[in-house]
Amino acid sequence: MSHFTPTIVLLKEGTDSSQGKGHLLSNIDACVEIVNTLKTTLGPRGMDKLITNDRGKSTVTNDGATVMRLLDVVHPAVQTLVDIAMSQDSEVGDGTTSVVVFAGEILEQSRSFIKENVHPQTLIKAFRKACFKCRERIKEIAVKSNVEDEKQWNSMLKKCASTAMNSKLIAGHKDAFSDMVVQAVRSLDPEFPEVDLIGIKKVGGGAMEESFLVNGVAFKKTFSYAGFEQQPKKFTTPKIALLNIELELKNEKENAEIRIKDPKEYQKIVEAEWELIYEKLEKIVESGANIVLSRLPIGDLATQYFADRDIFCAGRVEESDMKRLSVITGKQIQSTTNGFTSEMVGECELMEEKQIGSERYNIFTGFEKQGSSTIILRGGAEQFLAESERSLHDAIMVVHRAMLNSNVVAGGGAIEMELSRYLHEYAKTIYGKEQMLISAFAKALEIIPRQISQNAGFDSVDIMNKLRKGHFEKPKENIWMGVDIENEGVCNTMKSFVWEPSLMKLNMISAATDAACLVLSVDETVKSPSLQDNNKISMEGRK
Amino acid sequence: MLRYDSSGKPFIIIRDQDQKERLTGSEARKANILAAMTVANLMKTSIGPLGMDKILVDQDGEVTATNDGATILKNMQVENPIAKLLVELSQGQDDEIGDGTTSVVVFAGALLEESLSLLEKGIHPSKISEGYEKACDIAVQHLISICDKIEFDKEDCSSLIKAAKTSLGSKIVNQYTDKIAKISVEAVLAVADLERKDVRFDLIKLEGKTGGTLGQTELIDGIIIPKNFSHPQMPKQIKNAKIAILTCPFEPPKPKTGHKLDIDSVKKYKELLEIEQNYFKKMTDLVKKSGATVVLCQWGFDDEANHLLLQKELPAVRWVSGTDIELIAIATGARIVPRFSELTPKKLGKAGMVTEKSLGTTDEKMIVIEKCSNTKTVTILVKGGNKMVVEEGKRSIHDALCVTRNLIKDNRIVYGGGAVEISCSVALNKASKEIKGIEQYSIRAFSQALLSVPIALASNSGLNSLEAVSEIQLKQMKEEKPFFGIDCLSKGTSNMKEQNVFDTLRGKIQQFLLATQMAKMILKIDDIIRPTGQY
Repeated sequence: MSHFTPTIVLLKEGTDSSQGKGHLLSNIDACVEIVNTLKTTLGPRGMDKLITNDRGKSTVTNDGATVMRLLDVVHPAVQTLVDIAMSQDSEVGDGTTSVVVFAGEILEQSRSFIKENVHPQTLIKAFRKACFKCRERIKEIAVKSNVEDEKQWNSMLKKCASTAMNSKLIAGHKDAFSDMVVQAVRSLDPEFPEVDLIGIKKVGGGAMEESFLVNGVAFKKTFSYAGFEQQPKKFTTPKIALLNIELELKNEKENAEIRIKDPKEYQKIVEAEWELIYEKLEKIVESGANIVLSRLPIGDLATQYFADRDIFCAGRVEESDMKRLSVITGKQIQSTTNGFTSEMVGECELMEEKQIGSERYNIFTGFEKQGSSTIILRGGAEQFLAESERSLHDAIMVVHRAMLNSNVVAGGGAIEMELSRYLHEYAKTIYGKEQMLISAFAKALEIIPRQISQNAGFDSVDIMNKLRKGHFEKPKENIWMGVDIENEGVCNTMKSFVWEPSLMKLNMISAATDAACLVLSVDETVKSPSLQDNNKISMEGRK
Repeated sequence: MLRYDSSGKPFIIIRDQDQKERLTGSEARKANILAAMTVANLMKTSIGPLGMDKILVDQDGEVTATNDGATILKNMQVENPIAKLLVELSQGQDDEIGDGTTSVVVFAGALLEESLSLLEKGIHPSKISEGYEKACDIAVQHLISICDKIEFDKEDCSSLIKAAKTSLGSKIVNQYTDKIAKISVEAVLAVADLERKDVRFDLIKLEGKTGGTLGQTELIDGIIIPKNFSHPQMPKQIKNAKIAILTCPFEPPKPKTGHKLDIDSVKKYKELLEIEQNYFKKMTDLVKKSGATVVLCQWGFDDEANHLLLQKELPAVRWVSGTDIELIAIATGARIVPRFSELTPKKLGKAGMVTEKSLGTTDEKMIVIEKCSNTKTVTILVKGGNKMVVEEGKRSIHDALCVTRNLIKDNRIVYGGGAVEISCSVALNKASKEIKGIEQYSIRAFSQALLSVPIALASNSGLNSLEAVSEIQLKQMKEEKPFFGIDCLSKGTSNMKEQNVFDTLRGKIQQFLLATQMAKMILKIDDIIRPTGQY
């Protein structure tokens, strides 16, 4: 009996747990798998993905964060890669693919060390050090743009925007769009720029070339009642009332019941209800406003009332548009008409209803202050527009970031090659295992230029050779040597204006290192059975 | 797509992994291109004056017969994502230009078909895209260089009518092109602001009626509402009518708040009755006092009110829809009145004639409001043998209206019948020889794709398509004139200028740009992830 060892049940039935080296390697495999899916989207010759979900909605995209989100990843280790793509998206807006590809490559490089029984913590320590060195180097070599010189400053922002758009569908029109993006971002309040205040409106039909920037606010004609067409559609120097009031004849108190004893009183109640709404309408008219916008519906009675007085109105205006108008006019959105005076009414130079494609748009321009602008995006199909919007958003974020931090580095793999060279050299000065590991990190950095040239269909081995040679032989002169997409070769990407904000690269390197280290530090995953599986087991048990 | 790690253990990375499939690289591109080509081939037979119609039956059994590209695609309910893109493409063309919705799809399909052989040569898809973009630029420049201007004004609109006729040529109405083209142009001119080059389409109402033939389609200088007067004894015709437009019902108003009226005695009941009757009287009195001779009401009214209105000789129409109310208000200059107490003589609209007409032998009636004080509202009454014909007639007229509007906006034209496509193709071939590098191939492919439209046109017309197209190509090159096209109707000349077949420049440019954009987008996709078993 002494040999009897009882089985100890610690976890719920159906729980999946695996651990140890094998598990770590399996996690790395899973991450590399997803990176392989994503990596063809990198660079100016990167391809798009068409992803259809189970409800039949399809998306065409090239944006790393969007792809990662749509893939609907459930693998716990891979989830960390999704998270860094998201964080890069919200922090910097661009470089979401690079960050995932780089993290995957660090893991790939560490695989052989894990197999050789190097302790994961040693790897993590070395990678963190390498990451720290890289960040220092970026800060050291980043080129500072001259903020004083308006022209130079503008052109730097434009270059950053067009680099962000290089890989996207709208690359063919990047000149026009980068101009728009820079203007839009610069229209914001320089002290507290809020990217939300740049509206992007999509109108189907029409060619990309017909997209334009409205220096003000524009929104689609809202649902309207009879009488709307009688209202004037063009105003010069209008007075705009921004409201959050429902202007409709309705029951003011829900669930209330009026008990009427005397039939004569009946009429009075009806009158009272009418008075309530008329009072509101009169107050608005008295304030001198000739454009009335409300977040809540404006009913047929009010529409006709305003039409009668040559006032334009729009109900159910989207909150974001109301906010933009509120910021740009400097007036608050009013939620009551009590005490509504002419002081609470905003002004602009021109308001016009315009036909854009098959839609009608209300366009407000000529505000005294800056603070908001709207990009009207045209294009053939909905998915095309959706992807263009994502690309513009990336570019806007990049410009926004570049404005806060004006340092730039050269893209096209140049900065990565420089960092790789720098780390290789640094590795030679230290002893121990770390030397190998830092070199591995340096090698991982090379994935960016390699993938860019591979996606472009170039001979990547050849190009990598040229890049390495250039960087190692003349580190000073060739510091910005990167992949030349146009002529299948290498060139100084700083001179060919492939510029990226250094902040983006800083974030990319630390986020990727963090994610890689997180995956490496895991040696066991315990996965509880999902509710469905659990039910299945208990059902089977009952049988 | 099941994946294994290096030790052979399977792992699940994405949700429902076993129910998803993935196509990558050239496999994905081919699948996409094939899907697009299938749609394009389906549309090919609808191009041109002898193009055929398609019957579409939707899930409710509703039948549509049409050869309008956008309508066909919209009603096909395609599920393949790439085919959906093409549907949106033709929708985009429809929204912006309103014409050429079939050609744009056929052209996009041809561009992709041509790219297939380029891909097989090993050219990188983004190189192909760049080449297409360049080719599109050249083609658009060429279009601008060969375009002609047409002149017209309010009196002489013959050139506009000719343009409308080209658009109507392929439609079911082609027997009556002369008449319908004239109606369309007149309708547009009636509402157009020639100085601002703006046309407000919402002022043109298209009303359909079954019965009669398409040839009896007429233009009414005013508005038709498919309603009748509320009482059969009311006068059928009112001259110099003063119209009151009401959005309140002819009944005692009720509070919106929930209420309860306690009647506990006969006296109170009588009182209530009296109040109500007084109310009716007051209402009709107020209307009468304002000087109105016709009443249009958005809501209904009961027999009591109806009787009173008849007594006071106030012809009235009930349940007029909101959009009609709005149009009438604009046309007659009336104000919409929400309460009887607000009715004043100033708020009445004026119309020269309000008539109740009956159609054919049926007892269906409608009210025609003509000679409104503000004439800028017109109605086109489309008649036809059955509902399908009427609906298709409406769509065709819509196309013709769009063409006319586009010409008012921009009076530059290019010649139809495939003439411009051939001309651009010739120009591109020439240009391609001066361009270095791989782009040359894609430019040539673009020029080849351009020919797909004339080829489809010729084969739909029963000609030997390749022969006909190459003949025109030769002729254009020899004489260096861009207006030779396919003689679809065997009129004996291939000179489109003489045949008066033309398209708007804007529409053509839009077609080229949109099709190129779409081809580029589809070429850029190299990875498809979708649920298994679909499509």
